Parts: sequence; structure tokens; C-alpha cells
Amino acid sequence: MTRGRYRLLPHTADLRVEIRGRDLPAVYAASVEALYSLLTDRRRVRRGEQRTLSVSGGTPEDRLFRILRQALLLLTVDRFLVRDAGATMERGKVAVTLHGETIDPARHVLYREIKAVTGHGLAVERGPSGVTARFLLDV
Amino acid sequence: MRFEDIPLRQISDTSWEIPRTGGMLVPGLVFASGEMMQDIVRDQALRQVINVAHLPGILYRSIGMPDIHWGYGFPIGGVAAMDVEEGVISPGGVGYDINCGVRLLRSNLEIEGLRPRLPELVAALHREVPSGVGSTGFVRLAAKDMDKVLAGGSRWTAANGYATGEDLDFTESRGMLPGADPDAVSEVAKRRGHDQLGTLGAGNHFLEIDEVEELFFPEAAAAYGLFPGQAVFFLHTGSRGLGYQVCDDYLDVMSAYMRKHRIDLPDRQLACAHIRSDEGRRYLSALAAAANYAFANRQVLAHQVRETVQRVLGMGPRDAGIRVVYDVGHNNAKFESHELDGRRREVLVHRKGATRAFPAGHPEIPDAYGEVGQPVFIPGDMGTGSYVLAGVPGAMRMSFGSTCHGAGRRMSRTQAKQSVRGKSVFEAMEKRGVLVACASHRTLAEEIPEAYKDVGAVVDVVDRAGIARKVARLRPVAVVKG
Repeated sequence: MTRGRYRLLPHTADLRVEIRGRDLPAVYAASVEALYSLLTDRRRVRRGEQRTLSVSGGTPEDRLFRILRQALLLLTVDRFLVRDAGATMERGKVAVTLHGETIDPARHVLYREIKAVTGHGLAVERGPSGVTARFLLDV
Repeated sequence: MRFEDIPLRQISDTSWEIPRTGGMLVPGLVFASGEMMQDIVRDQALRQVINVAHLPGILYRSIGMPDIHWGYGFPIGGVAAMDVEEGVISPGGVGYDINCGVRLLRSNLEIEGLRPRLPELVAALHREVPSGVGSTGFVRLAAKDMDKVLAGGSRWTAANGYATGEDLDFTESRGMLPGADPDAVSEVAKRRGHDQLGTLGAGNHFLEIDEVEELFFPEAAAAYGLFPGQAVFFLHTGSRGLGYQVCDDYLDVMSAYMRKHRIDLPDRQLACAHIRSDEGRRYLSALAAAANYAFANRQVLAHQVRETVQRVLGMGPRDAGIRVVYDVGHNNAKFESHELDGRRREVLVHRKGATRAFPAGHPEIPDAYGEVGQPVFIPGDMGTGSYVLAGVPGAMRMSFGSTCHGAGRRMSRTQAKQSVRGKSVFEAMEKRGVLVACASHRTLAEEIPEAYKDVGAVVDVVDRAGIARKVARLRPVAVVKG
């Protein structure tokens, strides 16, 4: 698996994230990792449990949007933190495998509250050097 | 004048028109000084004012307040009123934090007398008023109680010992929007909100102790029970995870509606449905339920503040005199009656980062404020101060009874964080005479005073534009943040 990289783009109020990866699965996985890097220090999260997110159909943007929303719900509903993510894609069906653990307040610090993954300015673009995605998190 | 590809016509020293072009159904109207406009044009906010002007059924103008900034779909600091028969409701026009708002509590206490006890009081408030990411409230809700909170809002808090009848009298809509349907709120949303009743949250949400520093409109200040030197308590929070999830859930519903009805708009986050459609009605029922949760949340927090202050200071309720001045939201959509083109009409007013500001004599404001207008609270940055305003008739003519809601950010969170370290913010705030208690240094760094526009300039614009009137300036002396 080739990991993608993320950076924050300028935005006045919220967090605008850009991800680059070799292909779509790498971007999907890196997007989830970026989301959790913005929430906590992932190095402090143990790989004790596994969760899987699945989405299918729609455009690459639709799939990224649904993956990120599901990933955020893992924290906000199940109090689960992601250490790392890997993704596979076959015939438009994406499976994202996540490793992590339930929040332990003694070891984990949550940096910020992310209210939602928004569809504003959501983009997935293919270029000669790979795939670039951009999305906006409401904080 | 053009800023990039946006034509702007200055109407007065405080207002600008974006003429109707392309698919815009109405012009845009932005309240700002010339200097502010230089900041506003730096992001996408004006483009979003234009996009909102494309929404079916929009009336009069797509409006931006002087604290306008780039949101998703709608700008933050945006107002749009819709015809109830032809128009649409858009979750993006309300925001994720449904009925996020501000409550001001006054007291019989003076800051000078309180000062020696402030460190102890701030520590106790930080302990007793849950804040920060992942914090949980002390109210434990059974499943059936959650539905009662969603249906009853502040009424539920009164029935459970967290509110007095007077608290409800001084809350917008008496703390309960009609038409709330708990069944319109998803189980996921209820789970997100289950442990969060009575929590501040994080980010720009806060509890402040302020000193009433200066009065500009003494008659209104007297009606609101404010006097110079007084200690007041300022709460800013909303509907927490429950509201965020309601917005998320219904953006999907609205997107499907738009595809089905072939509504084409410039931005997918403007997803909407006709107000009279099943989808629109159901969202309005869920919106009212989430708004009620927010009213209940601020009421439970106010109760906790009252109890904590009285306990720490060893005072009874009568001596402390902590009473609600008012509680008003700034992220909502409400059915209201407004005069347009000489006739009175029922419209649905979206306010996203904009505060309802009804004038003297309006039937929906408390009798005690009937002669001076509804109180409006404009929090500034945590180092500078905040304002109390009063609603005025001009807001009914120009902005559907709305005014600004805050200072508005001018610096991204990353920029803010890069410019300081959390610890140095503590020191800088102490030098300004502001005690800070917070759950996260990172949040504190993102919320530095320099990250915000000058709230005084924002308030001057709405005062001069005639869409609110300055009543009092508040100076922060202590801040509790998530």
C-alpha cells in the first residue's frame, strides 16, 4: 500500500484538506488517516481493534464523502480512534480497513471537535502523478 | 467596483449591492464598511451570497452581515427569506450547529468585589461546566427523556428542576419551537446527543465572565438589568452532535430531492427542498427538535453556572441575583411575518451566523423589553470584549429583523496556531487581565484575539446601518473554553 499525504489549504473558518495519493484507494485511506491526524496524535493510538467501512456506487467524490462521514461517526458515536487505514477497490466497491482502539482519556488527547465532513468544494482529480482530493471539515 | 469577477455597487458607507446577474433571482445586499470589504473579498463569501440568490422562492435580497465569512453553501453571516409556498428550506442555510446561540446572565455582583474570588470561581466553573472535545454532561437521559427534550426544549428543563418560569420568559420562543417531531431525528443523531446535554463543546464555544464596561443606550440597559461594573455570565453553545447529525442526515435527503425534482444550483451544499414538500416539512420538524435540544442545553448550563457561583461565593439565589437577560440563537430557520412591498407576508427566514433582532413593540419579545427592543449579544474575541445590542425597526425593513452574530474570523486556524503557542496565549491573556481555563491549548491558540475581526467595527456597522443599536460593551475578565 502506498500512503498518501495531506496538507491544509487556506480557509478562514474551517479545515480545508488536500490529499495526494498514487491511486483512488490510497487517497481514500489517506483521507481517513488525515481526518484522524487532525483529531488526535495517531501515534498514541494502538492497533488493537479492526473496523471496516464499505461504500459502493457513485462518483469518486461521492465515495470519498461517504467514507469520511462514516469514519467520523466511528469517533462521535462509538468513541473509536483510528491509527491507520488501508483501502481496496473492486468494480466501484471500496472497502476501507481501519485499525485503532476506543478512546482512553488517560492516553488520548482530542485536539478539536469536527462537526461534520461537508460536500463544499469536495473534489477528486486524477493527474499524471496520481490522484488529488480536497475536502472541507466543519469545525 | 468589481472584486475579481463580482460586481459590487456601494449603496452607503455601510452597505453594498451585488446586482442581479445570471441565475440570481434577487440581488445581494452586504452590510460592511469599505475597509471590511477589503477583508471580505479575500475568500468565497460574496460568491456564496450570489449562490444563495439562486434558491427558489428567495425574496428581496440575499443578505450578508459585516461578520460574513466563507461557510459551506451559505456564507456564515447570511440571511435569506423564502416565500412559504414557492420557496425552499436548506439545511446549509441553518448550519450544522442548529440553534447555536448565546445566553447572557446578569447578576447582583460587581466585578471589583468578585475579583479576589475569581481564580477559585473560574476553576470551579471549568470543573462543573463540561467543556472540550468528547466531554459529557451530568444530565443522564433515558431514551424517552431524549424525545421529551426534543419536543419540549426548555420546558423539559423547567419540569426537571433546571429552569424557572422566568428563565423561559426570557428565552427566544420561550425555549421551545413548535412542530418539533422527535421521530424526524435519526437514532444516530440521538446517540450523538445522548451524553452531551449540558456541555459547552469546543472550538469557539465558551463561558465568559464579563464586566459591563460602558453603556450606550441607558434606557435599554436599565430594561435589561445591566449597570456599569456589573458581573455578567456569557454562554455560547448550540445543539452539539445531535444538531450536526440532523444537518448531515437531511443534506442527503435534500440532495435526493433536488435530483428527483431537477433543481440545479451552483453548489451541492445548497441542497434544499420546497418548504411544503414532505422532505421540507420533515426537516423543519427535525430542525425544531434540534433547536429545542440547544435551548435545553444552554438552560442546563445556565443552571450549572448559577449553582456553581452561588456555592463558591456562599450566596443564596436572591443575593447572587443571577437571572437570564435573554437567550437568542444565530443558526436557525423560522416562520415569521414580515412586510414586503407594502403587504404583510409569512416567510421562512434562514439565519446562518445571524441573530434575530426584533424591535420595540414586536409581539415576540418579552414584555419587559417591549419599549426598547430585543436584546442581541455579539461576542467578540476572548481578549477584547463583546457587545449587547437592541433590535431596531430598520432591521425589519432591511434584513428581515436580523443583525450580525460575532466578530467573524479573519485568520485561518492554521495561521492562528502558527502565530502563537498555547502557553504564550495564557500569558498574553493574563497580561490583558483575562483569566483563562481551557481543555485544550490547541483550541486556545486557534482562538487568539488576532484571529478575529474587530468586533467594535462590526458592531459600528450594524449600528450605523440601522439594523441594531448599541446598548453596552462588555469586557472579559475570565474565559472557560473547550
